[in-house]
Amino acid sequence: MTMSVIAVQGLGKRFGQVVAVDDLSFGVDQGKVTGFLGPNGAGKTTTLRMLLGLVTPTAGTATIGGRAYRELAEPIREVGAVLEATGFYPGRTARDHLRVMAVEAGLRGAAARADGVLGLVGLADSAGRRVEGFSLGMRQRLSLAAALLGDPQVLILDEPANGLDPEGIHWLRGFLRYLADQGRTVLVSSHALAEVAQTVDEVVIIARGRLVAHSTLEALTARAAPSVLVRSPDAATLRDLLTGNGIKAKLDGDDRVTATDTTTEAVGRLAASGGLVLYELRMDRSNLEDVFLELTTDEEIQEERPWGA
Amino acid sequence: MGRLIAGELLKLRTTRMPLAMLAGMLGFALLAVVAGILTADRLAEEGQGFALASDEGIGNVVRSASSGMFFVLVLGILAVAGEVRHKTITATFLVTPNRGRVVAAKLAVYALAGLAFGALASALTLAVALPWLAIKDIPLAGRADDIALTVLGILLASALYGLVGVGVGALVRNQVAAVTVSLLWLLIVEGLLVGLLPSVGRWLPSGAATALTRASITNGTLLPMWAGGLLLAAYGLVFAAVATRFTIRRDIT
Repeated sequence: MTMSVIAVQGLGKRFGQVVAVDDLSFGVDQGKVTGFLGPNGAGKTTTLRMLLGLVTPTAGTATIGGRAYRELAEPIREVGAVLEATGFYPGRTARDHLRVMAVEAGLRGAAARADGVLGLVGLADSAGRRVEGFSLGMRQRLSLAAALLGDPQVLILDEPANGLDPEGIHWLRGFLRYLADQGRTVLVSSHALAEVAQTVDEVVIIARGRLVAHSTLEALTARAAPSVLVRSPDAATLRDLLTGNGIKAKLDGDDRVTATDTTTEAVGRLAASGGLVLYELRMDRSNLEDVFLELTTDEEIQEERPWGA
Repeated sequence: MGRLIAGELLKLRTTRMPLAMLAGMLGFALLAVVAGILTADRLAEEGQGFALASDEGIGNVVRSASSGMFFVLVLGILAVAGEVRHKTITATFLVTPNRGRVVAAKLAVYALAGLAFGALASALTLAVALPWLAIKDIPLAGRADDIALTVLGILLASALYGLVGVGVGALVRNQVAAVTVSLLWLLIVEGLLVGLLPSVGRWLPSGAATALTRASITNGTLLPMWAGGLLLAAYGLVFAAVATRFTIRRDIT
Protein backbone atom coordinates (compact mmCIF):
# COMPACT_ATOMS: atom_id res chain seq x y z
CA MET A 1 0.00 0.00 0.00
CA THR A 2 1.51 3.25 -1.07
CA MET A 3 0.33 6.79 -0.54
CA SER A 4 0.82 9.91 -2.59
CA VAL A 5 3.64 11.94 -1.06
CA ILE A 6 3.18 14.72 -3.57
CA ALA A 7 -0.46 15.58 -4.24
CA VAL A 8 -1.62 18.10 -6.81
CA GLN A 9 -5.38 18.78 -6.75
CA GLY A 10 -7.22 20.97 -9.25
CA LEU A 11 -4.13 23.14 -9.49
CA GLY A 12 -4.37 26.24 -11.66
CA LYS A 13 -2.27 29.32 -12.41
CA ARG A 14 -3.17 32.27 -14.51
CA PHE A 15 -0.65 35.00 -15.38
CA GLY A 16 -2.88 37.84 -16.56
CA GLN A 17 -4.59 36.49 -19.67
CA VAL A 18 -2.31 33.47 -19.97
CA VAL A 19 -3.42 30.21 -18.38
CA ALA A 20 -0.17 28.44 -17.49
CA VAL A 21 -1.66 25.54 -15.52
CA ASP A 22 -5.28 24.45 -15.76
CA ASP A 23 -7.13 22.12 -13.36
CA LEU A 24 -4.14 19.82 -12.95
CA SER A 25 -4.37 16.82 -10.63
CA PHE A 26 -1.90 14.02 -10.04
CA GLY A 27 -0.13 12.23 -7.24
CA VAL A 28 3.40 10.91 -6.79
CA ASP A 29 3.83 7.76 -4.73
CA GLN A 30 6.43 7.23 -2.07
CA GLY A 31 9.73 5.81 -3.25
CA LYS A 32 8.95 6.20 -6.94
CA VAL A 33 10.77 8.16 -9.58
CA THR A 34 8.15 10.01 -11.57
CA GLY A 35 8.92 11.80 -14.81
CA PHE A 36 7.03 15.07 -15.25
CA LEU A 37 6.96 15.54 -18.97
CA GLY A 38 5.69 18.01 -21.49
CA PRO A 39 6.92 20.26 -24.26
CA ASN A 40 8.50 23.61 -23.44
CA GLY A 41 5.87 26.00 -22.16
CA ALA A 42 3.53 23.22 -21.02
CA GLY A 43 3.48 24.56 -17.45
CA LYS A 44 5.98 22.18 -15.83
CA THR A 45 8.11 24.82 -14.16
CA THR A 46 5.10 26.79 -12.94
CA THR A 47 3.63 23.61 -11.43
CA LEU A 48 6.87 22.72 -9.65
CA ARG A 49 7.27 26.28 -8.36
CA MET A 50 3.72 26.15 -6.99
CA LEU A 51 4.61 22.88 -5.22
CA LEU A 52 7.59 24.66 -3.69
CA GLY A 53 5.66 27.70 -2.46
CA LEU A 54 7.47 30.10 -4.81
CA VAL A 55 4.44 30.77 -7.00
CA THR A 56 0.96 31.22 -5.53
CA PRO A 57 -1.70 29.12 -7.30
CA THR A 58 -4.85 30.83 -8.55
CA ALA A 59 -6.78 27.58 -8.02
CA GLY A 60 -6.39 24.25 -6.26
CA THR A 61 -3.72 22.92 -3.93
CA ALA A 62 -0.28 21.37 -4.12
CA THR A 63 0.93 19.50 -1.06
CA ILE A 64 3.91 17.47 0.06
CA GLY A 65 3.22 14.94 2.78
CA GLY A 66 -0.23 16.48 3.16
CA ARG A 67 0.96 20.03 3.78
CA ALA A 68 1.67 23.04 1.60
CA TYR A 69 5.41 23.71 1.27
CA ARG A 70 5.04 27.04 3.06
CA GLU A 71 3.68 25.19 6.10
CA LEU A 72 6.56 22.74 6.40
CA ALA A 73 8.47 23.28 9.63
CA GLU A 74 11.89 22.35 8.21
CA PRO A 75 11.35 22.52 4.45
CA ILE A 76 14.79 21.62 3.11
CA ARG A 77 15.02 18.64 5.47
CA GLU A 78 11.82 17.32 3.91
CA VAL A 79 12.05 18.45 0.29
CA GLY A 80 15.07 19.11 -1.92
CA ALA A 81 14.64 21.17 -5.07
CA VAL A 82 16.64 21.79 -8.22
CA LEU A 83 15.36 24.78 -10.15
CA GLU A 84 17.06 26.78 -12.88
CA ALA A 85 20.81 26.73 -12.65
CA THR A 86 21.31 30.48 -12.27
CA GLY A 87 20.48 30.96 -8.61
CA PHE A 88 24.00 31.60 -7.37
CA TYR A 89 25.85 34.74 -6.40
CA PRO A 90 28.75 34.72 -8.87
CA GLY A 91 31.36 35.91 -6.37
CA ARG A 92 30.52 33.35 -3.70
CA THR A 93 32.20 29.95 -3.58
CA ALA A 94 30.23 26.73 -4.01
CA ARG A 95 30.92 25.74 -0.41
CA ASP A 96 29.83 29.14 0.94
CA HIS A 97 26.59 29.03 -1.06
CA LEU A 98 25.74 25.74 0.63
CA ARG A 99 26.99 26.92 4.05
CA VAL A 100 24.60 29.89 3.92
CA MET A 101 21.67 27.56 3.18
CA ALA A 102 22.73 25.11 5.90
CA VAL A 103 23.08 27.87 8.50
CA GLU A 104 19.70 29.37 7.61
CA ALA A 105 18.11 25.93 7.82
CA GLY A 106 19.70 25.37 11.22
CA LEU A 107 21.61 22.28 10.05
CA ARG A 108 24.48 21.24 12.29
CA GLY A 109 28.03 21.26 10.98
CA ALA A 110 27.26 23.49 7.99
CA ALA A 111 30.73 23.34 6.41
CA ALA A 112 31.06 19.57 6.75
CA ARG A 113 27.57 19.05 5.34
CA ALA A 114 28.38 21.34 2.40
CA ASP A 115 31.55 19.38 1.65
CA GLY A 116 29.63 16.11 1.99
CA VAL A 117 27.03 16.91 -0.65
CA LEU A 118 29.64 18.48 -2.93
CA GLY A 119 31.45 15.15 -2.80
CA LEU A 120 28.23 13.30 -3.68
CA VAL A 121 27.81 15.29 -6.89
CA GLY A 122 31.48 15.16 -7.84
CA LEU A 123 32.34 18.77 -7.06
CA ALA A 124 34.65 18.20 -4.08
CA ASP A 125 37.61 19.68 -5.92
CA SER A 126 35.72 22.85 -6.82
CA ALA A 127 34.28 23.55 -3.36
CA GLY A 128 36.44 26.62 -2.81
CA ARG A 129 35.98 28.09 -6.28
CA ARG A 130 33.71 31.04 -7.00
CA VAL A 131 30.60 30.01 -8.91
CA GLU A 132 31.26 32.61 -11.66
CA GLY A 133 33.87 30.20 -13.07
CA PHE A 134 31.47 27.24 -13.19
CA SER A 135 30.17 25.68 -16.41
CA LEU A 136 26.43 25.10 -16.80
CA GLY A 137 26.96 21.43 -15.98
CA MET A 138 28.83 22.29 -12.76
CA ARG A 139 26.03 24.65 -11.77
CA GLN A 140 23.51 21.85 -12.27
CA ARG A 141 25.59 19.61 -10.03
CA LEU A 142 25.78 22.39 -7.43
CA SER A 143 21.97 22.73 -7.62
CA LEU A 144 21.71 19.00 -6.94
CA ALA A 145 24.11 19.35 -4.01
CA ALA A 146 21.90 22.11 -2.59
CA ALA A 147 18.84 19.89 -2.98
CA LEU A 148 20.54 17.13 -0.99
CA LEU A 149 21.84 19.43 1.75
CA GLY A 150 19.03 18.66 4.19
CA ASP A 151 19.02 14.91 3.33
CA PRO A 152 15.34 15.13 2.27
CA GLN A 153 13.12 12.16 1.41
CA VAL A 154 11.41 14.05 -1.42
CA LEU A 155 13.23 15.56 -4.40
CA ILE A 156 11.70 17.92 -6.96
CA LEU A 157 13.96 18.47 -9.94
CA ASP A 158 13.18 20.86 -12.78
CA GLU A 159 15.02 19.91 -15.97
CA PRO A 160 18.15 18.76 -14.15
CA ALA A 161 19.61 17.46 -17.42
CA ASN A 162 19.65 20.94 -18.99
CA GLY A 163 23.17 21.98 -19.83
CA LEU A 164 24.67 18.57 -19.11
CA ASP A 165 26.82 16.93 -21.75
CA PRO A 166 26.11 13.28 -22.70
CA GLU A 167 28.48 12.07 -19.99
CA GLY A 168 26.73 14.32 -17.47
CA ILE A 169 23.31 13.02 -18.48
CA HIS A 170 24.59 9.46 -18.08
CA TRP A 171 25.87 10.38 -14.62
CA LEU A 172 22.54 12.05 -13.75
CA ARG A 173 20.58 8.92 -14.69
CA GLY A 174 22.69 6.80 -12.40
CA PHE A 175 22.47 9.40 -9.66
CA LEU A 176 18.65 9.57 -9.80
CA ARG A 177 18.51 5.77 -9.64
CA TYR A 178 20.87 5.83 -6.64
CA LEU A 179 18.61 8.34 -4.88
CA ALA A 180 15.48 6.33 -5.66
CA ASP A 181 17.13 3.12 -4.46
CA GLN A 182 17.53 4.82 -1.09
CA GLY A 183 13.74 5.04 -0.98
CA ARG A 184 13.46 8.71 -1.83
CA THR A 185 10.53 10.03 -3.82
CA VAL A 186 11.65 11.88 -6.93
CA LEU A 187 9.64 14.08 -9.29
CA VAL A 188 11.82 15.04 -12.24
CA SER A 189 10.70 17.21 -15.12
CA SER A 190 11.94 17.06 -18.67
CA HIS A 191 10.86 18.14 -22.12
CA ALA A 192 12.39 15.01 -23.63
CA LEU A 193 11.06 11.60 -22.68
CA ALA A 194 14.24 9.87 -23.81
CA GLU A 195 16.23 11.77 -21.18
CA VAL A 196 14.34 10.16 -18.35
CA ALA A 197 12.85 7.00 -19.91
CA GLN A 198 15.61 4.81 -18.45
CA THR A 199 15.19 6.26 -14.99
CA VAL A 200 11.50 6.73 -14.22
CA ASP A 201 8.87 4.33 -12.91
CA GLU A 202 5.92 6.51 -13.82
CA VAL A 203 5.24 9.41 -16.10
CA VAL A 204 2.94 12.39 -15.74
CA ILE A 205 2.56 14.12 -19.09
CA ILE A 206 1.11 17.59 -19.45
CA ALA A 207 0.53 19.86 -22.41
CA ARG A 208 -0.82 23.40 -22.36
CA GLY A 209 -1.11 23.25 -18.60
CA ARG A 210 -3.36 20.18 -18.58
CA LEU A 211 -2.81 16.55 -17.72
CA VAL A 212 -2.76 14.35 -20.83
CA ALA A 213 -1.47 11.10 -19.36
CA HIS A 214 -0.46 9.58 -16.05
CA SER A 215 0.71 6.00 -16.21
CA THR A 216 3.54 3.65 -15.51
CA LEU A 217 6.33 3.71 -18.04
CA GLU A 218 5.41 0.12 -18.97
CA ALA A 219 1.84 1.11 -19.81
CA LEU A 220 3.12 3.95 -21.90
CA THR A 221 5.54 1.64 -23.70
CA ALA A 222 2.65 -0.74 -24.38
CA ARG A 223 0.79 2.13 -26.05
CA ALA A 224 3.72 2.47 -28.39
CA ALA A 225 2.80 -0.29 -30.86
CA PRO A 226 6.18 -1.64 -31.92
CA SER A 227 6.76 -1.51 -35.65
CA VAL A 228 8.91 -3.57 -37.98
CA LEU A 229 11.05 -1.76 -40.52
CA VAL A 230 11.87 -3.57 -43.78
CA ARG A 231 14.01 -2.54 -46.72
CA SER A 232 13.48 -4.43 -49.92
CA PRO A 233 13.83 -3.74 -53.66
CA ASP A 234 10.29 -5.17 -53.98
CA ALA A 235 8.79 -2.92 -51.33
CA ALA A 236 5.39 -2.50 -53.00
CA THR A 237 5.00 -6.25 -53.51
CA LEU A 238 5.97 -6.87 -49.90
CA ARG A 239 3.45 -4.29 -48.68
CA ASP A 240 0.68 -6.05 -50.64
CA LEU A 241 1.79 -9.46 -49.36
CA LEU A 242 1.72 -8.23 -45.75
CA THR A 243 -1.66 -6.51 -45.97
CA GLY A 244 -2.99 -9.55 -47.81
CA ASN A 245 -2.10 -11.58 -44.70
CA GLY A 246 -3.81 -9.17 -42.33
CA ILE A 247 -0.72 -7.22 -41.23
CA LYS A 248 -0.93 -3.42 -41.20
CA ALA A 249 1.81 -2.13 -43.49
CA LYS A 250 2.59 0.99 -45.43
CA LEU A 251 5.21 2.15 -47.92
CA ASP A 252 7.86 4.59 -46.66
CA GLY A 253 9.70 5.77 -49.75
CA ASP A 254 10.83 3.57 -52.64
CA ASP A 255 12.34 0.63 -50.78
CA ARG A 256 10.94 0.84 -47.26
CA VAL A 257 7.92 -0.75 -45.60
CA THR A 258 6.75 -0.13 -42.03
CA ALA A 259 4.59 -2.86 -40.52
CA THR A 260 2.85 -2.46 -37.16
CA ASP A 261 1.48 -4.92 -34.58
CA THR A 262 3.70 -7.71 -35.83
CA THR A 263 7.11 -9.28 -35.33
CA THR A 264 10.27 -9.54 -37.39
CA GLU A 265 9.77 -13.31 -37.51
CA ALA A 266 6.30 -13.04 -39.10
CA VAL A 267 7.46 -10.51 -41.67
CA GLY A 268 10.60 -12.55 -42.48
CA ARG A 269 8.62 -15.77 -43.02
CA LEU A 270 6.09 -14.06 -45.28
CA ALA A 271 8.85 -12.44 -47.35
CA ALA A 272 10.61 -15.81 -47.73
CA SER A 273 7.34 -17.48 -48.73
CA GLY A 274 6.95 -14.82 -51.44
CA GLY A 275 10.58 -15.20 -52.52
CA LEU A 276 11.30 -11.53 -51.84
CA VAL A 277 14.82 -10.14 -51.29
CA LEU A 278 15.29 -8.19 -48.03
CA TYR A 279 18.14 -5.75 -47.34
CA GLU A 280 17.10 -4.99 -43.79
CA LEU A 281 14.63 -6.26 -41.22
CA ARG A 282 14.42 -4.82 -37.69
CA MET A 283 12.18 -3.73 -34.82
CA ASP A 284 11.81 0.00 -34.34
CA ARG A 285 11.79 0.83 -30.66
CA SER A 286 11.97 4.62 -30.93
CA ASN A 287 8.22 4.75 -30.71
CA LEU A 288 8.04 5.87 -27.09
CA GLU A 289 9.00 9.32 -28.26
CA ASP A 290 6.26 9.15 -30.91
CA VAL A 291 3.67 8.36 -28.25
CA PHE A 292 4.90 11.32 -26.27
CA LEU A 293 4.67 13.56 -29.32
CA GLU A 294 1.26 12.22 -30.19
CA LEU A 295 -0.05 12.76 -26.66
CA THR A 296 1.27 16.28 -26.36
CA THR A 297 0.32 17.44 -29.84
CA ASP A 298 -3.13 15.82 -29.91
CA GLU A 299 -4.06 18.26 -27.22
CA GLU A 300 -3.10 21.17 -29.45
CA ILE A 301 -5.17 19.82 -32.33
CA GLN A 302 -8.17 19.54 -30.04
CA GLU A 303 -7.63 23.11 -28.94
CA GLU A 304 -7.48 24.38 -32.47
CA ARG A 305 -10.40 22.25 -33.71
CA PRO A 306 -12.91 22.20 -30.89
CA TRP A 307 -15.44 20.44 -33.14
CA GLY A 308 -13.06 17.52 -33.76
CA ALA A 309 -13.12 14.24 -31.88
CA MET B 1 15.25 34.02 13.81
CA GLY B 2 18.77 33.52 15.16
CA ARG B 3 19.76 31.18 12.35
CA LEU B 4 18.36 33.53 9.71
CA ILE B 5 20.44 36.36 11.16
CA ALA B 6 23.49 34.09 11.22
CA GLY B 7 22.82 33.17 7.59
CA GLU B 8 22.50 36.81 6.51
CA LEU B 9 25.75 37.66 8.32
CA LEU B 10 27.43 34.75 6.54
CA LYS B 11 26.11 36.04 3.18
CA LEU B 12 27.73 39.41 3.95
CA ARG B 13 31.05 37.80 4.86
CA THR B 14 31.28 35.51 1.83
CA THR B 15 31.34 38.09 -0.98
CA ARG B 16 33.61 41.00 -1.71
CA MET B 17 30.83 43.48 -2.41
CA PRO B 18 30.38 44.68 1.21
CA LEU B 19 34.11 45.40 1.39
CA ALA B 20 33.83 47.54 -1.74
CA MET B 21 30.96 49.46 -0.13
CA LEU B 22 32.98 49.91 3.07
CA ALA B 23 35.97 51.14 1.05
CA GLY B 24 33.68 53.63 -0.67
CA MET B 25 32.29 54.92 2.60
CA LEU B 26 35.74 55.24 4.18
CA GLY B 27 37.07 56.95 1.05
CA PHE B 28 34.31 59.54 1.17
CA ALA B 29 34.90 60.12 4.90
CA LEU B 30 38.62 60.61 4.34
CA LEU B 31 38.12 63.04 1.46
CA ALA B 32 35.48 64.96 3.39
CA VAL B 33 37.52 65.33 6.56
CA VAL B 34 40.68 66.43 4.73
CA ALA B 35 38.81 68.86 2.47
CA GLY B 36 36.74 70.11 5.43
CA ILE B 37 39.73 70.96 7.60
CA LEU B 38 41.63 72.52 4.70
CA THR B 39 38.79 74.74 3.46
CA ALA B 40 36.60 75.58 6.50
CA ASP B 41 38.33 78.78 7.56
CA ARG B 42 38.67 80.13 4.01
CA LEU B 43 34.96 79.51 3.34
CA ALA B 44 34.01 81.08 6.68
CA GLU B 45 35.92 84.24 5.70
CA GLU B 46 33.81 84.38 2.56
CA GLY B 47 30.69 84.13 4.71
CA GLN B 48 29.91 80.48 3.94
CA GLY B 49 29.79 77.99 6.79
CA PHE B 50 31.54 78.08 10.09
CA ALA B 51 35.09 78.67 11.25
CA LEU B 52 37.01 75.55 12.21
CA ALA B 53 37.41 76.68 15.81
CA SER B 54 33.66 76.98 16.40
CA ASP B 55 31.36 74.28 17.79
CA GLU B 56 29.61 74.05 14.41
CA GLY B 57 32.94 73.90 12.57
CA ILE B 58 34.15 70.97 14.64
CA GLY B 59 30.74 69.30 14.29
CA ASN B 60 31.06 69.56 10.51
CA VAL B 61 34.50 67.94 10.62
CA VAL B 62 33.18 65.04 12.71
CA ARG B 63 30.17 64.66 10.39
CA SER B 64 32.59 63.94 7.53
CA ALA B 65 32.21 60.33 8.71
CA SER B 66 28.63 60.35 7.41
CA SER B 67 29.44 61.76 3.95
CA GLY B 68 29.55 58.32 2.32
CA MET B 69 26.58 56.92 4.20
CA PHE B 70 24.71 56.29 0.94
CA PHE B 71 27.01 53.28 0.49
CA VAL B 72 25.20 51.74 3.47
CA LEU B 73 21.90 52.51 1.76
CA VAL B 74 23.09 50.75 -1.41
CA LEU B 75 24.31 47.77 0.64
CA GLY B 76 20.85 47.50 2.18
CA ILE B 77 19.13 47.79 -1.20
CA LEU B 78 21.28 44.97 -2.60
CA ALA B 79 20.29 42.76 0.35
CA VAL B 80 16.96 42.08 -1.33
CA ALA B 81 17.23 43.45 -4.87
CA GLY B 82 20.63 41.77 -5.36
CA GLU B 83 19.14 38.44 -4.34
CA VAL B 84 16.33 38.94 -6.83
CA ARG B 85 18.83 39.87 -9.53
CA HIS B 86 21.05 36.82 -8.98
CA LYS B 87 18.03 34.61 -8.24
CA THR B 88 19.55 33.49 -4.94
CA ILE B 89 16.20 34.63 -3.51
CA THR B 90 14.87 31.27 -4.75
CA ALA B 91 17.19 29.35 -2.43
CA THR B 92 16.53 31.81 0.39
CA PHE B 93 12.75 31.35 0.16
CA LEU B 94 13.09 27.57 -0.27
CA VAL B 95 14.95 27.43 3.04
CA THR B 96 12.63 29.96 4.72
CA PRO B 97 9.21 30.10 3.04
CA ASN B 98 8.03 32.71 5.56
CA ARG B 99 9.15 35.72 3.58
CA GLY B 100 8.35 38.23 6.31
CA ARG B 101 10.93 36.57 8.54
CA VAL B 102 13.55 36.86 5.80
CA VAL B 103 12.89 40.60 5.49
CA ALA B 104 12.96 41.00 9.28
CA ALA B 105 16.33 39.23 9.52
CA LYS B 106 17.73 41.44 6.77
CA LEU B 107 16.50 44.58 8.56
CA ALA B 108 18.33 43.51 11.70
CA VAL B 109 21.54 42.46 9.95
CA TYR B 110 21.84 45.48 7.68
CA ALA B 111 21.15 47.86 10.58
CA LEU B 112 24.00 46.08 12.33
CA ALA B 113 26.20 46.36 9.24
CA GLY B 114 25.34 50.07 8.97
CA LEU B 115 26.31 50.52 12.60
CA ALA B 116 29.66 48.82 11.98
CA PHE B 117 30.31 50.87 8.83
CA GLY B 118 29.41 54.06 10.72
CA ALA B 119 31.74 53.11 13.56
CA LEU B 120 34.67 52.45 11.19
CA ALA B 121 34.06 55.68 9.27
CA SER B 122 33.84 57.62 12.53
CA ALA B 123 37.04 56.04 13.83
CA LEU B 124 38.88 56.93 10.60
CA THR B 125 37.51 60.48 10.65
CA LEU B 126 38.46 61.08 14.27
CA ALA B 127 41.89 59.50 13.74
CA VAL B 128 42.57 62.12 11.08
CA ALA B 129 40.72 65.08 12.60
CA LEU B 130 41.67 64.99 16.28
CA PRO B 131 45.49 65.12 15.88
CA TRP B 132 45.19 67.64 13.05
CA LEU B 133 42.93 69.97 15.06
CA ALA B 134 45.30 69.60 18.03
CA ILE B 135 48.22 70.64 15.85
CA LYS B 136 46.17 73.68 14.81
CA ASP B 137 45.81 74.50 18.53
CA ILE B 138 42.04 74.24 18.39
CA PRO B 139 40.83 73.32 21.89
CA LEU B 140 38.87 70.06 22.01
CA ALA B 141 38.88 69.23 25.72
CA GLY B 142 35.63 70.98 26.58
CA ARG B 143 33.92 69.57 23.49
CA ALA B 144 34.35 65.85 24.15
CA ASP B 145 30.68 65.30 25.11
CA ASP B 146 29.53 67.25 22.09
CA ILE B 147 31.72 65.20 19.73
CA ALA B 148 30.62 61.93 21.35
CA LEU B 149 26.95 62.81 20.87
CA THR B 150 27.56 63.64 17.21
CA VAL B 151 29.36 60.32 16.70
CA LEU B 152 26.45 58.52 18.35
CA GLY B 153 24.12 60.29 15.90
CA ILE B 154 26.30 59.17 12.97
CA LEU B 155 26.27 55.56 14.18
CA LEU B 156 22.49 55.59 14.49
CA ALA B 157 22.00 57.33 11.14
CA SER B 158 24.26 54.81 9.43
CA ALA B 159 22.42 51.89 11.05
CA LEU B 160 19.07 53.32 10.02
CA TYR B 161 20.30 53.87 6.45
CA GLY B 162 20.88 50.10 6.32
CA LEU B 163 17.30 49.64 7.50
CA VAL B 164 15.91 52.09 4.92
CA GLY B 165 18.00 50.41 2.19
CA VAL B 166 16.51 46.98 2.94
CA GLY B 167 13.03 48.55 2.87
CA VAL B 168 13.65 50.25 -0.49
CA GLY B 169 15.24 47.14 -2.02
CA ALA B 170 12.33 44.98 -0.87
CA LEU B 171 9.85 47.49 -2.25
CA VAL B 172 11.47 48.04 -5.67
CA ARG B 173 13.21 44.64 -6.12
CA ASN B 174 14.83 45.73 -9.39
CA GLN B 175 18.46 46.29 -8.41
CA VAL B 176 19.38 48.89 -11.03
CA ALA B 177 16.13 50.84 -10.63
CA ALA B 178 16.27 50.75 -6.83
CA VAL B 179 19.87 51.98 -6.63
CA THR B 180 19.51 54.60 -9.36
CA VAL B 181 16.23 56.05 -8.15
CA SER B 182 17.21 56.18 -4.51
CA LEU B 183 20.60 57.79 -5.18
CA LEU B 184 19.07 60.40 -7.50
CA TRP B 185 16.35 61.06 -4.94
CA LEU B 186 18.70 61.20 -1.98
CA LEU B 187 21.59 63.16 -3.46
CA ILE B 188 19.74 65.49 -5.84
CA VAL B 189 16.04 65.86 -4.99
CA GLU B 190 16.45 65.74 -1.24
CA GLY B 191 19.74 67.62 -1.36
CA LEU B 192 17.90 70.50 -3.02
CA LEU B 193 14.80 70.28 -0.83
CA VAL B 194 16.69 70.18 2.46
CA GLY B 195 18.75 73.14 1.34
CA LEU B 196 16.08 75.24 -0.34
CA LEU B 197 12.86 74.26 1.37
CA PRO B 198 13.81 72.96 4.81
CA SER B 199 10.22 73.03 6.07
CA VAL B 200 9.57 70.15 3.67
CA GLY B 201 13.06 68.68 3.49
CA ARG B 202 13.34 68.09 7.21
CA TRP B 203 10.59 65.47 6.98
CA LEU B 204 12.42 63.49 4.29
CA PRO B 205 14.91 60.67 5.01
CA SER B 206 18.07 62.68 4.44
CA GLY B 207 16.62 65.61 6.40
CA ALA B 208 15.94 63.20 9.23
CA ALA B 209 19.47 61.77 8.92
CA THR B 210 20.95 65.26 8.95
CA ALA B 211 19.00 66.07 12.11
CA LEU B 212 20.20 62.83 13.69
CA THR B 213 23.83 63.79 13.06
CA ARG B 214 23.12 67.18 14.71
CA ALA B 215 23.97 69.31 11.70
CA SER B 216 22.70 72.87 11.68
CA ILE B 217 21.38 74.59 8.58
CA THR B 218 21.43 78.33 8.12
CA ASN B 219 17.99 78.95 6.63
CA GLY B 220 15.71 76.95 8.89
CA THR B 221 15.48 74.38 11.63
CA LEU B 222 15.66 70.62 11.38
CA LEU B 223 13.88 68.21 13.66
CA PRO B 224 15.36 67.51 17.09
CA MET B 225 17.97 64.74 17.05
CA TRP B 226 15.67 62.14 18.64
CA ALA B 227 12.80 62.97 16.28
CA GLY B 228 15.08 62.66 13.25
CA GLY B 229 16.12 59.20 14.44
CA LEU B 230 12.55 58.04 14.98
CA LEU B 231 11.47 59.41 11.60
CA LEU B 232 14.32 57.67 9.76
CA ALA B 233 13.55 54.38 11.53
CA ALA B 234 9.88 54.81 10.60
CA TYR B 235 10.80 55.25 6.92
CA GLY B 236 12.75 51.99 6.92
CA LEU B 237 10.11 50.01 8.81
CA VAL B 238 7.18 51.38 6.78
CA PHE B 239 8.96 50.61 3.47
CA ALA B 240 9.71 47.09 4.73
CA ALA B 241 6.16 46.55 6.01
CA VAL B 242 4.59 47.72 2.74
CA ALA B 243 7.04 45.56 0.79
CA THR B 244 6.28 42.51 2.94
CA ARG B 245 2.57 43.03 2.41
CA PHE B 246 2.86 43.54 -1.35
CA THR B 247 6.04 43.14 -3.45
CA ILE B 248 7.75 40.41 -1.41
CA ARG B 249 4.69 38.17 -1.78
CA ARG B 250 4.99 38.14 -5.54
CA ASP B 251 5.70 34.98 -7.46
CA ILE B 252 9.33 33.97 -7.81
CA THR B 253 9.46 32.75 -11.40
